[in-house]
Amino acid sequence: MSMVAILEQALNGFIVSAFYALAALGLAIIFGVLRIVNFAHGELYMLGGYAYFLAVSALGLPPMLGILVATVALAAIGALVEWLLIRPVYDGRADRPEEYSIMITFALSIFLLNLANSLFGPWPRRPEPLLRGSVELGELIVTGDRLAAAGVALVLIALLLAGLRYTWAGRAVRAVSQNREAAAIFGISVTQVGMLAFALGAALAGTAGALMGPVFNVVPVMGVIPVIKAYVIVVLGGLGSIPGAIIGAIILGQVETFGTILIPDPSRALAYKDAYGLVLLVGILLLRPQGLFGTKERRA
Amino acid sequence: MHQLLKINGLAKRFGGLTALKSVDMNAGEGELLGLIGPNGSGKTTLLNIVSGYYKADAGRIAYQGRAILGDEPHQLARLGIGRSFQVTKIFKRLTVMENMLVAGLSDAKAARGEARDRAEGLLRDLKLDRLRDERASSISGGQGKLLEFARIMMLSPKIVLLDEPFGGVHPELKQFMHDQVRKWNASGTAIILISHDMGSIFDLCGRVVTLSNGDIICDGTPEKTRNDPAVLDAYLGDHHGSA
Amino acid sequence: MSMTMLRVTGLGLVLTVFLMLPFILGDYWIYTVTIGFYYAILAASWALLVGYVGRISFAQTAMAGLGGYVSALSVQHIGLPPVLGLVLGVMVAAMIGFGIGRMTLRLHGAYLGLTTIAFAEILRITATAEYNLTEGSRGLQVAPLLEGGTRVEYYFLFLAITVACLALMTWLLRSRVGLFFQSIREDEDGAASLGVNVTLWKTLAFAISSAFAGLAGGLQAHFVQLITPSMMSLQEMGLVLAMAVIGGFHNVVFAALGGVGLQVSLEALRELGQWRLVVFGLLTVIILRAVPNGIFGFVFDALAKRLVKKGRDE
Repeated sequence: MSMVAILEQALNGFIVSAFYALAALGLAIIFGVLRIVNFAHGELYMLGGYAYFLAVSALGLPPMLGILVATVALAAIGALVEWLLIRPVYDGRADRPEEYSIMITFALSIFLLNLANSLFGPWPRRPEPLLRGSVELGELIVTGDRLAAAGVALVLIALLLAGLRYTWAGRAVRAVSQNREAAAIFGISVTQVGMLAFALGAALAGTAGALMGPVFNVVPVMGVIPVIKAYVIVVLGGLGSIPGAIIGAIILGQVETFGTILIPDPSRALAYKDAYGLVLLVGILLLRPQGLFGTKERRA
Repeated sequence: MHQLLKINGLAKRFGGLTALKSVDMNAGEGELLGLIGPNGSGKTTLLNIVSGYYKADAGRIAYQGRAILGDEPHQLARLGIGRSFQVTKIFKRLTVMENMLVAGLSDAKAARGEARDRAEGLLRDLKLDRLRDERASSISGGQGKLLEFARIMMLSPKIVLLDEPFGGVHPELKQFMHDQVRKWNASGTAIILISHDMGSIFDLCGRVVTLSNGDIICDGTPEKTRNDPAVLDAYLGDHHGSA
Repeated sequence: MSMTMLRVTGLGLVLTVFLMLPFILGDYWIYTVTIGFYYAILAASWALLVGYVGRISFAQTAMAGLGGYVSALSVQHIGLPPVLGLVLGVMVAAMIGFGIGRMTLRLHGAYLGLTTIAFAEILRITATAEYNLTEGSRGLQVAPLLEGGTRVEYYFLFLAITVACLALMTWLLRSRVGLFFQSIREDEDGAASLGVNVTLWKTLAFAISSAFAGLAGGLQAHFVQLITPSMMSLQEMGLVLAMAVIGGFHNVVFAALGGVGLQVSLEALRELGQWRLVVFGLLTVIILRAVPNGIFGFVFDALAKRLVKKGRDE
């Protein structure tokens, strides 16, 4: 492969990583604060895509506003889901909380996926992207929609990191992630932080969906494969670790982009592409379950 | 007295923390031995290694003359080493009788009817027989501790390791538990009792082993232990004194 | 009446209904219920693993597909009669299940769930990618189990097999193995301290559950005479989860009834189109939240309260 081609591949890998990172960070925050894996994350991502589609194509709003609509809508949905379905894990109403949280988020994902299918139909939609056409960076050529979306994603990630570091809410989120009981003793309402975390996680997933929708199509099943990549990333980085999620996203983006070169038969190589991440996931969970930066817990 | 349990040079580290330095300890058949020491001295670590839940970094353990270091917990249970847990591990969604039967039937050769009868007897001794068909989640904390005792006895163990069994137990129940411990011991079961409750230790144990910072600093009668300067230093010099 | 009598009466009634159905229903519905038996075995074997042993798994439908493909391909390429193909499918599924169970010993909860999702997807992707062998998404033609069999014949055969599977599972779960399984679910360390070989039983549980799933998959493949990778998808897994939860996933019979019930409802509510699945999804969420024993569990408990006298012998 020529140098230009390699760089283009790498750049594409980084762009894809930016999207993955946004979705994965949502998952990481939810796990950090609530200690649950949100199996409905892919469908929240998908709903973000549809929110953007409705805002831009149906209501005619400008694309940036569409992104905002998706973010806000999913934050609201996330808060509602936490209040209705997740809270029993913490106030003692669920008999077996761990099992319950896994199954109810999985059931929620079934519900949401089929709801989208029924409301919007299975046909793909292509709403207006942030930027049309292609952009030249020196000798590299990248499509504008991807680049713009990745740019927005990076800005949002930076905002998120800053928020976690410098705002009171962000510090509360970090406190509860590190030690729930201690945070409660210090007067932090862990219930409210829980709702905030889920809403934030959902908003991040929804925003990622809104950004990716115009690039890859908005369709009810659009969340199924990306969410598995998000799982791979957070497990690789360490469940609950924010920097881990970012590094994990970068690694996965590169592995997927260059991994296809490994299998000589081009059609099968493409078919197995999604499997690389899965093999990585299994490998990490079996060999080093805490990932790169996670804390070693005796049980998940 | 036959040495039932012989521990030599046992060592255990957790990352940078040394829990056990090099512990030598014996327990004879039918002995009732107390194991005390300030928090963090390594008592529970020692118990967890002997019962197979932790792997030691160095040392040997012989039980009835045979080396058991590295064996799995369920294997040790079948060999006759029973143990209780600081936070009881009763099976909450099973009934009291089912809790007993898990222990009774873990031996593949045991028949159900026989196991049930033995369980009945043990439950009666511990005044839990009325509760046999109740879910374990609905019995009181004290009854839960007794259930844990009863389950261990289903294994017909030769030695029982009790980890802080009297924590949070009211005085009447504690007396009852003391009587049970003495009864078992009288029938030939060796018992190693870890407890912060000095009253119980001095009441029950003929011999007391004191651990501090991963080392044994005293091994003798309760009287001797009470007056030993090293023991007093370990407890009083340490902010987490007890009893 | 006693608890045992209630159980026996209930089972008897249900069995009688199923025996009579082919004489009341038309061909189309007989076919539908026969497919329902596939889901019944799947849901029940999932309930065994998740409800009794407490090991969460999303690989059930992948194991079914594995059994189905192994059976179909061995009949096609080695010339095995379908019955032996089924046996081979069961054995391979059991072995892979054993392997996964062994590898995931130290994983629990969501980590375990994620790992099973990964294994399931790897299997599905492989089935799709190796299209030279499996025809990929186009689907593989499968030889019929009963040459020239009528729908009624398949119905009774599958009913018999389902009842046999449930009987086997129930026998296992009421034996000491069932106690060991549940003790592992409740507290692994506590179980080990009482002599339960936790490693062995966790591994065997996965193997046994996968074996039943492989059988179901093989039966389905040789009945419908077509197998596609979509049978192994997470959407299908979601459906099985819904069936077991709605039926009652702490009891293999209730889960099985959930399987048949939901499959029949799916067909009955055809005019609702995609909305059927929305309803089931919502129902699953509600049941998890409010009626954890499932519909059949709830009904049975209610009947037991009214009809069973609390006596010394239960």
